[in-house]
Amino acid sequence: MKPRAGTLFAAAAPAAFLLAAPFFLSTYWVMILTEILTMSLFAMSFNLLFGYTGLLSFGQAGIFGAGGYFAVLSLIHGPSSLWAAFAAALLGSAFLSMIIGWFCVRRDEIYFAILTLGFGMMLFTVAHNWRSLTGGSDGLGGFTLPPLDLLFWRGSLADPRHFYFLVLGVVFLGALLLYRMVHSPFGLLLRSIRENTQRLSFVGADVRAVRLCAFVVAGTLAGLAGVLFALFNRIASPEMLHWSFSGKAVLMTILGGSGVLFGPAVGAAIFYVLEHVITAHTTNWMVFLGAILVVLVLAFPRGVLGSLLHLAARRRGRPRP
Amino acid sequence: METFLANLFNGLSWGMLLFLISIGLTIIFGVMGVLNFAHGSLFMLGAYLCMQFVRWTGSFWTGLLLGPPLVAALAVAIERFFLRPLYGRDVSLQLLLTFGLMLFLDDGVRLIWGAAYHVVQPPDALSGSVAIFSQSYPLYRLFLVVLGPLAGLALWAFFTFTLWGKLLRAAAMDRQMAEIVGVRVPVLFTAVFAFGAWLAAVGGALAAPHQSVGPAMGERIIIESFIVVVIGGMGSFPGAFVGALILGLLNSFGTTFFPQVQMALPYILLAGILLTRPRGLFGAES
Amino acid sequence: MRKEGLVRVLVLLVVGIFLFAGGGLAADKPVKIGFAYIMSGPFATYGQFAKQGAELAIEEVNAKGGILGRKVEAYFEDTAGKPDVGIRVIRKHVFENGADVVMGIDSSGVAAAVAPVMTELKTPLIITHAATPDVTGSKCNRYTFRVSLNINQNIAMAAAIAADTKVKTWTTAGPDYSFGHQSWEYFQTYLSRKKPDAVFLPQAEVAFSPAATTDFSSYITKIMNSKADGVLISLWGGNLIDFVRQAVDMGFFDGKREILMTLGAATEVLYALKEKMPTGIWVGTRYWFLANDTPVNKAFVDAYVKRFNVYPSYNAHGAYAAVKTYAAAAEKVKAVDKEKIVEGLRGLSLELPVGKITIRPEDRQAVTDGVWGKTAADPKYPIRILQPIRKFTGAEITPPVAETGCKMN
Repeated sequence: MKPRAGTLFAAAAPAAFLLAAPFFLSTYWVMILTEILTMSLFAMSFNLLFGYTGLLSFGQAGIFGAGGYFAVLSLIHGPSSLWAAFAAALLGSAFLSMIIGWFCVRRDEIYFAILTLGFGMMLFTVAHNWRSLTGGSDGLGGFTLPPLDLLFWRGSLADPRHFYFLVLGVVFLGALLLYRMVHSPFGLLLRSIRENTQRLSFVGADVRAVRLCAFVVAGTLAGLAGVLFALFNRIASPEMLHWSFSGKAVLMTILGGSGVLFGPAVGAAIFYVLEHVITAHTTNWMVFLGAILVVLVLAFPRGVLGSLLHLAARRRGRPRP
Repeated sequence: METFLANLFNGLSWGMLLFLISIGLTIIFGVMGVLNFAHGSLFMLGAYLCMQFVRWTGSFWTGLLLGPPLVAALAVAIERFFLRPLYGRDVSLQLLLTFGLMLFLDDGVRLIWGAAYHVVQPPDALSGSVAIFSQSYPLYRLFLVVLGPLAGLALWAFFTFTLWGKLLRAAAMDRQMAEIVGVRVPVLFTAVFAFGAWLAAVGGALAAPHQSVGPAMGERIIIESFIVVVIGGMGSFPGAFVGALILGLLNSFGTTFFPQVQMALPYILLAGILLTRPRGLFGAES
Repeated sequence: MRKEGLVRVLVLLVVGIFLFAGGGLAADKPVKIGFAYIMSGPFATYGQFAKQGAELAIEEVNAKGGILGRKVEAYFEDTAGKPDVGIRVIRKHVFENGADVVMGIDSSGVAAAVAPVMTELKTPLIITHAATPDVTGSKCNRYTFRVSLNINQNIAMAAAIAADTKVKTWTTAGPDYSFGHQSWEYFQTYLSRKKPDAVFLPQAEVAFSPAATTDFSSYITKIMNSKADGVLISLWGGNLIDFVRQAVDMGFFDGKREILMTLGAATEVLYALKEKMPTGIWVGTRYWFLANDTPVNKAFVDAYVKRFNVYPSYNAHGAYAAVKTYAAAAEKVKAVDKEKIVEGLRGLSLELPVGKITIRPEDRQAVTDGVWGKTAADPKYPIRILQPIRKFTGAEITPPVAETGCKMN
């Protein structure tokens, strides 16, 4: 299929915006954008399970936060190297999601959701209670930022714009991986699991193994997002592992649209901008956020991006899958 | 012995509150298939309204009697205008909607009643304490311990002997079949949601005299109620009772015997039960 | 909200007229103060009090012509008590609101997250509530100051009171996060120094409850059935209210044990509990509105009660004190430049409602007087008051710098 001009533009415009943003946005908004990108990666990793495999994970924050802790622990006790921190977090979160996934993928639907919530909260308790290792409720902070060394360029993580480009690069790679994955035969397999688990097992696919694989990929990417989050905030704190943080990913995903790869990213952007605009005017921002959520759910049942794409497709008279 | 008894009653009284909230949650899930995130907020609203009635009339019983029907009325509106358009759509939409409602209600009470903590006194007849062996124990807590099984019994009778109860159970078991035999499902749904909300609000009103009334009280109890419902078996009535008891007792005895891991105990229990009994203790195995 | 807005407009009007009459005394740019408190959720009442204290102080400063002739402007942001949100709003203050100084922080977790970031933001932070010793200890830095009492100071007073009791064995009821654990650890250290034979129950037998606890009965049972005859209670806010109410019903306050509540004299708690708060209990606070008769304190309490119709809480005082401290530092160095303010704050002494405070240059912690007292009923007040009051000087309760673990680079 040849990409149409409209599609190309739809892809190029956000990319151009993200690349150019640091040059015209204020420092604070660059930081907000950094957070949006980080949460996008987190929510997209969640959506690999939710939107593509039909598994609602309420424990995704547990692995996200664990990734942050692995990275900070590596910076404190190991070499002051960004890449070592990334490696520690990727290995650690892949390993963790393997163990947790091994238990959880045996269950479906709400039981999967609650089981992941349980494991996530166990991780939260470890981070919260193991004071000698994790700093307890105060979290692990006060570490020295590692140098930012790329092959031909030397930046500083303390510079918000340099940090932004690091995050943009990492999130781009993560999104690319997800894109390739959902458009591969493996992605098809995932979607057919979502549609009909039984039929798939009849034709001989090992549903559990496929799910576990998706769980590990999602967990690893969540851990990666966790590293960015912890480095950005200069701290890994137990709140990152709490179920309510998983709830944020759920919220952003449904808000943006779970049926589209970049739906969660749009949801993250909407969430942050809404929060920012509302908190500027009132301390009772949750009332308004709640009301807006209710309206959005009723008005955009496919999520904002999902509904827009659906509308666009209908205009063109071409049904979307 | 005294420690054991005190812990037993501590666990039972907390468990009974959990039971009242969980039973509504489980009925709503069983019949409607809706996982109601705002259920804790309805519990909180019950407590706030009770407090308001106590302020106006000075009587706790008025609050207990009049507050919950108001919450049920609100629940009717929620079901008709917000939930109904979403039936048959993706379950995640209901989740997000009830989550939005939770944020709205939790912060809304702060707009009305302010951010300060509020206190409701137990009724005179139930304040004071009784001696259990050498220790005094608050009468109000014993009242909760007795009330729980009574409420359970009443609900059981309702489900077993009354027409509405039978309809509810039938609809929970097989929605389509109920529709075929002539049950007006939309009305039933509204009734179920309102009934569950009423129970939650009763729980909130009963909780008001022994914990501070504040905007976060719903958020705190909702997760524990989820756990109760899941370990008991989603949609199972006896499951909610047993689950609430287990969680309540685990809470009190865990405090005494396993303080270091107490925070994680409910989750360990949850994982253990779901891994060995996939549909919970009383859930129907598929 | 609307009323507040009206008052603010009026105040601005008055200030404007004053400045106009002063013949354009004011420099064009206002001094911007960014406040970060918990304004939503279960602890929002603390943020509310702090905001009131801050507004009162700013009105007073502006009424006297502002800081160095420049009007003071306030920005309030909600930390929600979460570290990541706390860091975001601090950055917003610095980068977006253009704050010259940041004040506030209720939660110790947020303070521990924010303090190290201040060296990057190169902006002074004045902590007014969070009590974790780390931010003026192991995590101390050039830009982080605190005008309120910290855990060490509060617990030093608790230990002094505990040493005068006949208690043999101590236990604790505290929140199961750093604040509760650190309170208990310092209590053991300080009391052992004064009374080497004091016995403390081991970790498995004390009662630490998670923040989300609403039913404290099993913790109360645990303490009542332990062999301890003294209890240090470091619960605060809604947790403390729930604990006290349930403990009253369970006969916890039967006179069989000595009880010390480290934050029992918070007016947020006293207003909620009213006569449910038992009398004759030792309670601590960061500031008590009846503790001293100085004109500065009387003026503050009178103005506060007149304006808000409640007695000022310690959090209201903290925010008020921070604004006054900042103004004094600016007058001292005759500038609001961030680096100069840091120099101005170092070693600054001034008189506040709480008494005379001195900011130690070595760790940036204020050496401030403290009070504990026994709860008592007085028909003149709607809440329990402290009677008798026991006062401590800053010098006797503040640990030496060498003990704090602070190494300033």
